[in-house]
Amino acid sequence: MSLFVDPKLGLIDGPVQPRLEAQSRAKSWYDWAGYAAPAVLDTVEFEYFALRNQASLFDVSPMHKYRIRGPQAQAMLNRMMTRDITKIGTNRVGYTLWCDEEGMVIDDGTLFRFADDDWRLCCQEQMLTWLLDAAWGFDVEITDESKEVAGFALQGPSTFAVLESAGWDVSALRPFDMAEVAPGILISRTGFTGDLGYEIWMPWDDALAVWDKIWAAGDLWGLRAIGYEAVDYARLEAGFLTAGVDFQPARGTERLHRGLTPYELGFGRLVHLDKGHFNGRRALLKAKDAPRSVVMKVDVEGFKPAKGALIYHRKKREVGHITSGLWSPTAKRNIALAHVQMPWAGKRPSDLWAEIYTLEEGKWDTRMARLTPIQGAFFAPPRARATPPARI
Amino acid sequence: MSFDAVIIGGGINGLVAASVLARGGKKVCLLEQSGHLGGLAAPGPDGGARMAHLLYNLSPLVRREIGMDAHKWPFKLTPVSTVALNPDGPHVVIRGQKAQLADGSAHPEAEAYRQLNGQLIRYADILRGLAEGGPLGIEGRLSSISGLKELWRLGRIGRKLKRIDKSEMRRFLQMLLSNAYDLILDDLKDGPLAGMMAADAVRGGFAGPRSPGTVFSLIYRMGHGGEVTWPEGGMGAVVTAFEGAAQKAGVDIRLNAGVARILLAGDRVRAVETTGGDVIETKTVLSSTGALRTAHMAGVDAFDIEAARRLRNIRVKGTVAKINLTLTKPVSVAGLTDDMCPARLVLAPTAEYVERAFNPAKYRQMSEAPVIEALRIDAQTFSLMVQYAPVDLDGGWTDAAKDKLRAVTLSALAPYLPGLEDAVAQAEVITPDQIEAETGAPGGHWHHAEMALDQLLTLRPANGMGRYAMGPEGLYLCGAGAHPGGDLMGLAGRNAARAALEVGK
Ligand SMILES: Cc1cc2nc3c(=O)[nH]c(=O)nc-3n(C[C@H](O)[C@H](O)[C@H](O)COP(=O)(O)OP(=O)(O)OC[C@H]3O[C@@H](n4cnc5c(N)ncnc54)[C@H](O)[C@@H]3O)c2cc1C
Repeated sequence: MSLFVDPKLGLIDGPVQPRLEAQSRAKSWYDWAGYAAPAVLDTVEFEYFALRNQASLFDVSPMHKYRIRGPQAQAMLNRMMTRDITKIGTNRVGYTLWCDEEGMVIDDGTLFRFADDDWRLCCQEQMLTWLLDAAWGFDVEITDESKEVAGFALQGPSTFAVLESAGWDVSALRPFDMAEVAPGILISRTGFTGDLGYEIWMPWDDALAVWDKIWAAGDLWGLRAIGYEAVDYARLEAGFLTAGVDFQPARGTERLHRGLTPYELGFGRLVHLDKGHFNGRRALLKAKDAPRSVVMKVDVEGFKPAKGALIYHRKKREVGHITSGLWSPTAKRNIALAHVQMPWAGKRPSDLWAEIYTLEEGKWDTRMARLTPIQGAFFAPPRARATPPARI
Repeated sequence: MSFDAVIIGGGINGLVAASVLARGGKKVCLLEQSGHLGGLAAPGPDGGARMAHLLYNLSPLVRREIGMDAHKWPFKLTPVSTVALNPDGPHVVIRGQKAQLADGSAHPEAEAYRQLNGQLIRYADILRGLAEGGPLGIEGRLSSISGLKELWRLGRIGRKLKRIDKSEMRRFLQMLLSNAYDLILDDLKDGPLAGMMAADAVRGGFAGPRSPGTVFSLIYRMGHGGEVTWPEGGMGAVVTAFEGAAQKAGVDIRLNAGVARILLAGDRVRAVETTGGDVIETKTVLSSTGALRTAHMAGVDAFDIEAARRLRNIRVKGTVAKINLTLTKPVSVAGLTDDMCPARLVLAPTAEYVERAFNPAKYRQMSEAPVIEALRIDAQTFSLMVQYAPVDLDGGWTDAAKDKLRAVTLSALAPYLPGLEDAVAQAEVITPDQIEAETGAPGGHWHHAEMALDQLLTLRPANGMGRYAMGPEGLYLCGAGAHPGGDLMGLAGRNAARAALEVGK
């Protein structure tokens, strides 16, 4: 089936386009896997604060979703993923990444375990050919469910209450749990914002009805439909990386050595070298103690977001660059993800500076802003983990 | 039960690998699935030549390293003359470098042939340096110029800086990537002599003389000088000699012991399990069967996804069927004055004929006018290599298909061997699918993997496995599918054993 249902169209409609269309005052759409997706619907500030203070609804249906079924589904996935996926319980979701044979990250995603022989992988990059390759020799069946399964991210402190008002009891769900709350409607306590939140998964054709139901339930709880920009703020505050921005998916790169290992991306804890063979393990054994660079979370001096800035050691030697940066409204800090080469990212990184371009009323200038490394997320509210969650 | 190393398969490479390891101080067990040794070279009941039938690439280096005599083989080798059969004139008889007409007169292209042949042998010498040295250093594709330069450099090192001048080097590099057809017809006009060379260039391959890389395969078979010999006592004598060397080295050889699984602990070899359920502990396994089969034995999950993809994409379609003829009465070759035995009769009247014979194989058909290498062992025993008989024949190798192949073959030979069809007492047809079923050789292929430029040196059997180590610690490939390739040579087994010994140090 062609992606383009109507030859006159470039971008196509997602499952809730009529609702998004009606909400969109900004008319700001971008291409997400071929779908017209909202960058913002109104203003990013409104949307961001709804996410952090109330509840937000974001259509994630363009994500790629694959079903992996069969007696050897677990073995096949365990060979593909860097972490030991046998440790993911039934009705649990695991955050996971996978590498090529050189140990370079191909993509990350969430893995849903319905049963030993029934899993779903949800990820940003198209992964069908890789999954088929990975499945060769195993008794499994791979189905691309991208166009069959729709998904919404319902994120923010009042989202538990929203779902309760919709008649769905998710009080027992701990982070990364999932449950079928109604026939065909699956809710997982997952998200990309580091906050309390849920993702709702349903058949594509039911998406409008489910949206309306949530919408009606959210009325009292300050629910707002949002676009990607607000999500991007939130994910950076949570310290999450975005494929294609904070790392180059190894299979998408054409130049040599643009890939990064999980160690270099700070995901060493998701690499289980002792679980037996998995893709890239032999390379990762060697790469483990020899990262070429490291992704650091940093606080950037001043207010100017540092995205794209080069990083210097002692203001002299170029040692890296910043891939994402933001003045965080909640953390009240100028936060950024910095790729810093070794050894400058070593044990006690200091004297690192970002070269920031400034434009003041027509005058360009550069300024060196000191980078202060930060451990952990920039923002990690306890409400994100409380079970049962508070209503607000 | 535990051994330092277990060898899977008792073909020439398995036997050699076992001997080298045992002589290196290892306690070695060799497991052969069938009831006999030899693999593709296993003799028939009479000791003759059931599949492989001639020696031209046996490695003296291997002979020395497995403890045989430093100077000679333990079986007598008789040089075999080649007869390039000519449908419309005198046959061409080739002895060593010398081409003559069958009536004893001079061949008009004798000098051109001598020069071309001599040049190929010189280049083959360089390749042998690489074969003996193992595929070190070359990471890129052979089809790239930098790969070729590296090859050249290594070749020179291998041959201890043999003097070859710049223009000859240029010609070598150009030649290696080109096709046998162009090379041969640059120097010879198309006829039986050219046809014979073209046939030699493609024997065992899924290729016609116009396929790129066929100059390489022509040179490959000249790696040890190019002389074709027949061992007294047939292949039985050869296999017995290699078996003897293994035994003398202390190898524990077990027949009827097929390996079903290679067992791993974490990412290293722990044991092998036979089809009978015996578990033999070992930390090192050298497998001489196909690369993909070996991977299956260890479990696909022990390999990276990319590695598994490469393994299953190895090009390996066998194209040679073997026909063993026993006759009720002597049959002579028409137009030959002396009654040569053994003689290698090559039916390939022109290079063009060989190319046309290949065409049907592309469409999964057998050649209606096949290329045949007929070894006349004695006047009543013929061993035939018939090409092209593709392993994946459309409709499969049914009895009817085999009958057709037999009929096509006999009628192709009939003009040269008068009375042949009536004298046939027995004609055993062994097709590539059967070769695969009996020996495990992938696709029933002569070399376990096509000898194509993208499957040679460090790319053999596949990128990332070019140095015999397959992935899991302790697992090596030691058969024809590994560098340098097949033929009755023994270097793949020897190199793999040395790689394993090196790691054990
Ligand atoms: C029809 C034909 C004719 C040929 N003629 C010639 C010729 O005239 N001259 C020449 O130089 N070369 C010839 N060749 C090529 C040559 O015979 C081979 O390249 C060479 O013999 C390969 O040796 P090998 O030891 O690598 O593999 P093989 O000879 O294939 O040996 C592999 C062995 O492993 C065993 N095995 C497989 N699986 C298992 C298992 N799971 N457990 C235990 N054992 C197992 C098999 O039974 C076999 O004995 C010919 C090839 C073919 C197909």
